This record gives sequence, structure tokens and C-alpha cells, in this order.
Amino acid sequence: MLLRGAFFARRNAVDEPRLSRGAFFCFEADTLVRGADLRIGKKFWRIGLAGTVLASALLCAGLMRAQAPGVPNSPSAPNAPNVGGAQGQQQDNEKNSGTKPAQETAPSSGSPSGSSGGAHAYREVVDETGRTVRLPQPVERIVSLAPNLTETVYALGLQDHLVGDTEYCDYPPEAQKKAKVGGTINPSIEEVAALRPDVVLVTSINRFETERALDNLNIPVYATDPHNVEEILNSTIKLADVLGAAQNGVTLAGEMQQRLSELQQRIGELEPRRVLFVVWAEPLISVGKNTFIADALRKAGAVSIVETTQDWPKVSLEEVVRLQPEFLVFTTQNDEKAPDLLALSALPGWRSLEAVRNHHFVLVSDAVNRPAPRIVSAIEDMAKQLHPEAFVDGPGGPPPAAPEKLEKPNTTPQTIPPAEFASLVQNVAGVCAEPEVTICNR
Amino acid sequence: MQPLTLRRLVLRCTALAGVLFVVVVLALKLGAVQVSLYGLAQDLIRFALHQTKEISSNYSLIVFDIRLPRILLGVFVGASLAVAGTSFQALLRNPLADPYVLGVSSGAAVGAILAVMIAPHLALSPDAAVLLTPVGAFFGALVTIAGVYLLGQRDGEIDSTTLLLAGIITASFLNALIMLLLNLISGRDHGGMSFWLMGDLSTPLQDNLQWVMRAGFFLAAGAIYTTASDLNLLLAGEKEALHLGVDVPRVRIVVYVAASILTGLAVSVSGAIGYVGLLVPHVMRMIFGSDHRILIPAAAFGGAIAVVLADMLARTVAAPSELPVGAMTALAGAPLFIYLLRRRMA
Repeated sequence: MLLRGAFFARRNAVDEPRLSRGAFFCFEADTLVRGADLRIGKKFWRIGLAGTVLASALLCAGLMRAQAPGVPNSPSAPNAPNVGGAQGQQQDNEKNSGTKPAQETAPSSGSPSGSSGGAHAYREVVDETGRTVRLPQPVERIVSLAPNLTETVYALGLQDHLVGDTEYCDYPPEAQKKAKVGGTINPSIEEVAALRPDVVLVTSINRFETERALDNLNIPVYATDPHNVEEILNSTIKLADVLGAAQNGVTLAGEMQQRLSELQQRIGELEPRRVLFVVWAEPLISVGKNTFIADALRKAGAVSIVETTQDWPKVSLEEVVRLQPEFLVFTTQNDEKAPDLLALSALPGWRSLEAVRNHHFVLVSDAVNRPAPRIVSAIEDMAKQLHPEAFVDGPGGPPPAAPEKLEKPNTTPQTIPPAEFASLVQNVAGVCAEPEVTICNR
Repeated sequence: MQPLTLRRLVLRCTALAGVLFVVVVLALKLGAVQVSLYGLAQDLIRFALHQTKEISSNYSLIVFDIRLPRILLGVFVGASLAVAGTSFQALLRNPLADPYVLGVSSGAAVGAILAVMIAPHLALSPDAAVLLTPVGAFFGALVTIAGVYLLGQRDGEIDSTTLLLAGIITASFLNALIMLLLNLISGRDHGGMSFWLMGDLSTPLQDNLQWVMRAGFFLAAGAIYTTASDLNLLLAGEKEALHLGVDVPRVRIVVYVAASILTGLAVSVSGAIGYVGLLVPHVMRMIFGSDHRILIPAAAFGGAIAVVLADMLARTVAAPSELPVGAMTALAGAPLFIYLLRRRMA
């Protein structure tokens, strides 16, 4: 009764015209002031405060309760039936549960846990950002959240285990047919969860928030973070081991290293070309020296004229004109860039570049933008366009690399002799296999 | 103006709660993954009866672990923003007042970016590191709003025009600062922050943070509600209200602090979701009149409905990719605002 008396009008109070109702900016306050019932009862605020505190406590308790029982099961528990909602998933389930025992020994695995643990084996690995990830063994359902990871998974021959990827995963073409979980920055978490992945692969283009959201759902997230070509190789080896295809990884990385060494023999002693790598033309964005692209350029017998620690620096055209790169490197998808270059050549600033006047353009597929095995092809492609003279004769090529001239420290291409590389591979594989791995059978 | 009765208040709130419930159920159903309405209804009934063991596992992970926390977060963020907007509009007697116009969101963004930048230099446990961004955003919001409050004073009195102008200038200064700082952070954080700047509900909160959010909302909104009748009188002007017995300085402090806390909480967990604090109070005022004793709860429900709807659109329009919620609210909000404006003029 106190409430009604103090705060609310009695039903038979003076009926006032409903002037302010429906007005947009209801600040015509003189109509309000007339309502004497608007402010009666000085103690109301205490009652109100007590009421709200009580209500808030009740509501909080209720909501917490609503939240807590949620679903305690972890999505990675292989025994949970039918967690995925979509119809397509159901088929996948059947197929998977049918073939699981057979696949347990299938992809050769470097670690002993791969075949020993059965459905309840877990393995702890440390990923490239230093997080400890607990993975069910064997890894049978992989979701990739980046195009380069999708390519790597395909290159490792694990495409049958890849159950989902992003809309940007366009290579190899079959990858486009996999279930899509959205973009790299903004994937749908529920789509990922519905695929019931054993592991979600992320890399440096994905958001930390995505990683955290998946962590909260107990979905294992493995992150790669390569910064140069060597690290791409090592990352491939380690990823292969984590996914249970260690042998494939070592073979693949060995092939990549082999091709890089051969390339080095051809162009190693040539003077590096000074190039401008164009990520974006307007405004002009290039690459910093700590990116894997800059390293790929070094491997291709070139050196970027942009020397900054910033990863994707916006470069002043004046500076480019002053430095006069010998070649401009553009990435291309299906030769779309060709007309663009003509337009660019006509622009002031650009047209005063020697490279533009001489049509010294290097077009390379966008594989160079992806830290995946295919980058080796992109490096070879760039090398051929930058140093055509080194490729005129047959496969014999010029004599093996003489000791490199040390002009600038970071322009010297690094070569690792195959023998040394073999030990490196073993090292990496050993590191992956031994100290970081603990096996817990549950 | 109709006199307010308890019956009217309860009826209005029940109606709005019903709409909110329908919207929440709809948001639970719709999403990138298809969920059947029948199965969902069954599960919800079991959930309500606390038979959680019998919930069919088909959708439970997606509906109860992914969508429900996100929707609840949207409910609280929307309600906070709308209540803060309503009270700022009444306090400053200016229809343009809005947490974002006052520079709060920019301040929160600067705080969040600074937190991201210093995070690697502090040796923090992963749990603490996760908390750093919302905490930074919250303090950024509070510092900004305190700064705007001080700038907006004139001869020791708050002048609403000066305060709004101070807010707008602060916001544009801080936005310039954001652009500068964004250039300095590295790729991975950059992607995250640029998404955060457009509003993002996709990151679930830790349980303890959810507690803070809820308790903070009810306390701050409750404090504002205790001044509802004073706000009605304040619409006449501060002098008039003073003559009618309103303790204007106290109301001003209570509302300002409480609304700042609401905004800080909302922005720190969801990033910048614009237009909710500006538009929802106006829509609610058109429907329910400008009596703040009804308007404040109505705005809370309206804000919740608006954000949950916007988030539902953000999740489904480009599925399976997700769009920023702030883009959705701005896309829907700006035309609605113009429509309301033209209708009023006609």
C-alpha cells in the first residue's frame, strides 16, 4: 500500500490529457509538472533500492543456475553421440563410428601414443604460441581456420580427416567442397562445434577471441606461427606429427628443402635483385623484413627495398622513387592484375619508376602469401622471373654455389646443406616427440 | 499524461518480457547450424523443469553452451546501453545524449587497446590476461566519462550543451588516438581489435565476469530507477525541479555515476554497439510516454530485444561467417531514426 501511495497514482486520480504520449522528443515538461503524483514520498528511494538489490540477487541466482548446468560434456569426448546437429553431420557420424577402429592405426604416427590408447588416449603438445594443447588420439576430425593450414593438411595427405575449413580455403580446389565454418576472422563458433573436431588449427591471421571461445568449449586449438621459410618447414613437420602423420611431414619438408637447395645452387651466387613487394597498390602497402614473405624473397634471390620491423608497412611512394627498385612484385589470382598494372604505370609517381618504365614486373601466384608448402613453388616462380639467366641452360645449371658474397647481412640467402637439414629434421621431430609429449590414458 | 498505476507498470513490463522471451527463443533456434523447433521446445521444457540429464544431446552444446550465453550477454548489454541512454537523455535534457556521443565507447576502446599492448609485457597467468582487456576497457570508459564531466562544467555547474560538446570533441580525439594505436599493434591483435571496435558478442565471458556484469547492471539500473520520479521533474529544467523539491545535485551524481558504470560494463564486454542507447529510448518514449517510472524498465527490455535481434541477424545473414553486431545496429538504427524523425515532423 505504501508503494501504491508513494510511487503510483491511485486509480481514480485526476485523469490528465495524454499529451506527451507519442511525442518523439518528450521534453515538453510543463505537461509533466502538473502531475502532482509524480513525486510523492521521500522514502521511496530507499524502498526502491532495497527492492532492486533483492530482485538483482534473485535474478542473478536464477540466471547463474540457468547457466551452470548447461552441458558438462566436452565436445571432444569421442563417445558423445550425435553432438553435431546438421543432417550432413549425422552421416559423417555413422561413417566415422563405423571406420574408427580401422583407422586407429592408419596414418603412421611418430609417437607411440597414436596406436596404443584407443578412443580414450590423449596427448599433450605445446603449440607454436606456447600453449599446451590436449589432443585426443588419434586425431580424426580436423577443422582448419586458415587457407595455409588447409593446404598443409592436404599436402600431408590428411584431407580425409579435414571436416571443415573457411570460405577462403580455395586450394586445392577440392578444399572448397569441405564444410565451411565462415571466414578466418569471423568463423561461426557453433558451426565449428557442430563438426565435433578433435582439433581446430589456427594461425596468426585468426583472432585470439576465436581461440578463447573454442577453449571455453573444451575444443582443442592448435596454433602455428611461422615467421620465415625455415619455420614454415619446421611448422609443417611439427603439425604433421601432431596430426599423426609424422613421416609424411618429414618427407614433405625434405622435398621442400631439396627444391630450395637446388634453387640456391642456381641463384645463390647471383647478386640479389632489389625489389618492392606490393601487397596493396593504393595505398602502397609492402612487407616488413620480419615477415615470411620477405624471407621468401630472399630465398628467391631478391631483397625487399623496404626495411622495417613493421609487418605490413604503408610505404611512401616518394621513398620508393628514391630507392628505385629493380623489380616490382605483384601477387595475382588468375592473371587479374594485368590490366591493373597498365593503369598503375600511368599514374604520377609510379611512372617515374625505372621498373615500371622497363616493365620489370614479377607476377607470382598468391601462394606466396600463404605460409604453406606451396610457397616453395612461388619462390621458384619468382626466382625464374627475377633471374631468368640462371635458368637458360639445362637442369645441370651453373656450378654449385660459391661462398656467398656478404654484402648486406640480411640479403644473404641462407642455405642449409641437405646433410645438415636431415639432422635439423630429426631434431625437430625429436623435440616434438620426446620432451613435450605426455601420454595419459583415461 | 496518464497517472501511473502498479497495474499499468506490470502490464507493460509483462508484455515487453513476453516479446523478449519470444525473441530469445527465436535467437536460440536460428543460427548457422539448423536446430529443429520441436527438439528445442522439448529441451527448453526439460531445462525449465531442471531435468538437465534428459536433454537430448543433439543441440545441447550449440544451444546451451554457445547460443544461450551469447544471448544472455546480449540481453544485459542491450539493457545497460538503453537504460544509460534514457537516463543521459533525461539528465542532459537533450535528445542526442547517448553513451557513445559522450565519448565513452572511444575511451573504452583506447583502454582495451592499451591493455592489449601492455599485456605481453606483464607476466600474467592466462586467466588474468583474458581479464585484462575488459578491465582496461572499463577503466578507459570511466576515465573518459569523468574527464568529459569535468570538461562539461561551467562555473561549477553542469551545462548540458557544454557537456555534449565536450563529449563529442573527446570522442573524436580518442578516435584519432585509436587509429594511431591500431597501427602499432601486431597482426593478430589488430584483427581482433578492429572487430571489437564494431561490436562483438561472440566471445563468451568467464563465469565470474558474468556475475560482475549482472550484479553491476541491477545495482546501477536500480540506482537510476530510484531517481525515476526526479528525472520526470528534471525534464522541466533544473531550476524548476529544484523548486519542486528535487535534490538536483544528488540526482545528477547518482544518475551520472550509475549510467557511466552501465556503459562501461556494456562496452567492456561487447565493444562498441552504437545506436542502441540513442534509439531505443526514443522508440520506447513514443510507445509508452515519457514517464521514467515506466520508461526505464521499458527501455531495458527494448534494448535487450534490439541487441538480441541484431546479434541474431549478425549470426545468420552471412552464415556461416559472422558480422559485427555494431554494423547491424547501425544499419537498422539509422534508417529507423530518420523515419521517426520525419514522422514527427509530418
